[in-house]
Amino acid sequence: MSKLSVTKRGDFVKMCIWRGDASGGSFVDYKIPVSETQTVLDAVTWVQRNVEPGLSYRFACRVGMCGSCAMMVNGRPRWTCRTHVSKVIKNNQIRLEPLRNLPVIKDLVCDLSDFFAKWLKANGRFVPTATREHPVKKISPLSRQRQAANAAIECINCAVCYAACDAVEQYPNYLGPAALNRAWTLVNDVRDDGKRERLRAITADGGCQCCHSQHGCASHCPNELNPARSIAGLKQVAVTAIFKGEV
Amino acid sequence: MLERIDTDILILGAGGAGLVAALHAYKGSPDLKLTIAVKGLMGKCGCTRMVQGGYNVALGPGDSIERHFMDTIVGGKWLPHQEMAWKLCETAVTRVQELENEIGCFFDREDDGSLHHKAFAGQTVDRTVHKGDLTGIEIINRLMEQVLALPIQRLEEHRALALIPNRAGDALAGVLLSDMRHGTMRLVRAKAVLMATGGGPSMYRYYTPSGEKSMDGLAMALRLGLPLRDMEMVQFHPTGLLGGKDTRMTGTVLEEGLRGAGGHLLDGSGRRFMFDYDEHGERATRDIVSRGIYAQMRSGHTTPNGGVYISMGHLGADNVRNKFRGMVKRCADCGFDLAGGRVEVVPTAHYFMGGLVCDPDTTTELPGLFVAGEDASGMHGANRLGGNGVANSTVFGGVAGDVMSSYAASAGPHQDPDETIVEAEISRALHPFSKKPGNVNSLREDLMDIMWGKVGVIRTAEGIKRGIGQIRQLKAELLETGVGEFDTIFNMTWNDWLNLRSLTETSEMIAQAALSRENSRGAHYREDFPQAGDLDDSYFTLARSSADGISVKQDAVVFSIIQPGESLIEGYHESAAQIRK
Repeated sequence: MSKLSVTKRGDFVKMCIWRGDASGGSFVDYKIPVSETQTVLDAVTWVQRNVEPGLSYRFACRVGMCGSCAMMVNGRPRWTCRTHVSKVIKNNQIRLEPLRNLPVIKDLVCDLSDFFAKWLKANGRFVPTATREHPVKKISPLSRQRQAANAAIECINCAVCYAACDAVEQYPNYLGPAALNRAWTLVNDVRDDGKRERLRAITADGGCQCCHSQHGCASHCPNELNPARSIAGLKQVAVTAIFKGEV
Repeated sequence: MLERIDTDILILGAGGAGLVAALHAYKGSPDLKLTIAVKGLMGKCGCTRMVQGGYNVALGPGDSIERHFMDTIVGGKWLPHQEMAWKLCETAVTRVQELENEIGCFFDREDDGSLHHKAFAGQTVDRTVHKGDLTGIEIINRLMEQVLALPIQRLEEHRALALIPNRAGDALAGVLLSDMRHGTMRLVRAKAVLMATGGGPSMYRYYTPSGEKSMDGLAMALRLGLPLRDMEMVQFHPTGLLGGKDTRMTGTVLEEGLRGAGGHLLDGSGRRFMFDYDEHGERATRDIVSRGIYAQMRSGHTTPNGGVYISMGHLGADNVRNKFRGMVKRCADCGFDLAGGRVEVVPTAHYFMGGLVCDPDTTTELPGLFVAGEDASGMHGANRLGGNGVANSTVFGGVAGDVMSSYAASAGPHQDPDETIVEAEISRALHPFSKKPGNVNSLREDLMDIMWGKVGVIRTAEGIKRGIGQIRQLKAELLETGVGEFDTIFNMTWNDWLNLRSLTETSEMIAQAALSRENSRGAHYREDFPQAGDLDDSYFTLARSSADGISVKQDAVVFSIIQPGESLIEGYHESAAQIRK
């Protein structure tokens, strides 16, 4: 906990917040009183409530379950609801911008449409083999495939990995780590019937081969998932499929 | 700035109820035009996502729909609408199979591959299906993927402002919405509208729901004069995180399992106090522990922020860290040491059992309007069982989708909206731009204190009456409080104002219903009437708003399936008493 004792009541911190919209913008400085239990989201809220009623940001759950509040904090994508101010403060200053690699709507709010469109493009959607009239399928949690799926499933689609990824920046078509990570969980889901089409999607232009294994996703994922490992798994599956002439 | 669009089915809300409704409506009538409007992002706001515990379903060994039903009725203190409760328990079975087999959710398994059912408070068998302690995320993510793939019009970051009736006032014509991204307003005409905006009693000093929740659905319904049931029934969770007024973390849930595992509750001086209130100590039920903590706080033995401590350290910090990884990390991220130290906690408003009156098929008094999820009422009675919340939203969301698809398919042309009401609602929404800017947040703080102090965990007639006076005064102040220069694009302060307006209106309804119920049942506790009252004479409250103000009446609970004292299962009451011990 000692790490979190940097800030104390009575101190001030400078927040440089990007203000603007799709047509452009600039940083505006705000001076914020510090309190002991203060997340970056709380600091942004303080600005909106006390100084700048027109400041736009996005949040919902407040506790790291929805990922709505992700933004760039001192150049790094983070959930702001779960980031204590003292953890990220640098030279008594915090710089906030909307998530990288996504179009901005206003101030700290970005448009996640592309992110979710790619999720679908990667066929990140379950294709059923049974119906509601059937009993739930018996699947051992100890099976290799289920363990692979479980290891990657707790993604909350916050787009932190997408913002951290250099390949996304380089190749605008690239489906990105979150979408491919979801595809990997489905490749390992024995109940799923969409494997052939998914294989086509992940080997097509913008698919898993765009990943350069720089692990930006894994080192930034607030849930400590490893999308790079999932993508490596997809690459292997893809190679095998190509050899077998399945793609 | 008013755009007009038409759709066949409009769904308000994209939590469990809204998303399942969309899938069912599409399946029922794929040719109909379907639209979902949601206050935040698709799949990211709403409370189903925040479900930790799990989903109650009678699929496990030794379980039956009858047993699930009995637990729901007894847990609800005999106030539930029995047909609604039965529908909930019965349909949960096919709904869980649908979520697993068709939607792609994967719930935790036993080593032999069968579903794992865990024990949960108030249930006489291990029933709750779950995905670790993040069940809601699994359910909502999978539903969202399915919905995104269908040709459904998505209106994200659209806030519902008002339900608009037709000119005759005898059916719903559509909904007025504010498009927060573009700063415009939309009037969406629809043949069927589902209200699934979620409850979210965020008018309390401490609350658990997602931050955008402000009971907009019920506020819109009461403005139309529709009947609301069980409005006094607000469930408090005993252990919300307490970090002071200025952090949004305050009020969020620290899970039930901490007490179950042996966590201690200590007052400000470090003394364990729950045994002063109940022989089960910290392991007593939610309502008892909430009242114990509240009473302790009232007596002044509090922590620096005015609550009590939860202390886990005596169980071994490493052990706690292993067992409650997510909770420990969540606390640590924000500067609290749950594993080895003490964390301040406080009872926190969690779930709203009350809501719009509806039939088990989700229809309401107003033709064209359907309701599901926390906006609906009846199935939980005076208390909701843990695990029945997500069952409720997904079960009745699906029912609504089925019913609306046939309703809309056979409905005539769109209704013409009452333009006078449209105009009045637009100016109502824009009202704060015409006033001198003020401090919306301090009014919000005031409302939270009023509701917490006067209409909270422990209530008295005198306190509630004073609370009602203060709410009315606050409503008047809000109408004189502006939000700054005219700017409707992603203006959060304007939305804070609109949220507060919904909250003040629903708050008064809660207070009036609480005043009317002169006994103590489930979540509602009256210090001046501590007895539960005769079960055979059980009644529920029915509140309506009209030009003359709010009226609350009491209606007898219809015991259409079982009478108090009876059971659908032999030996149920005897064994239940044993298990609860």
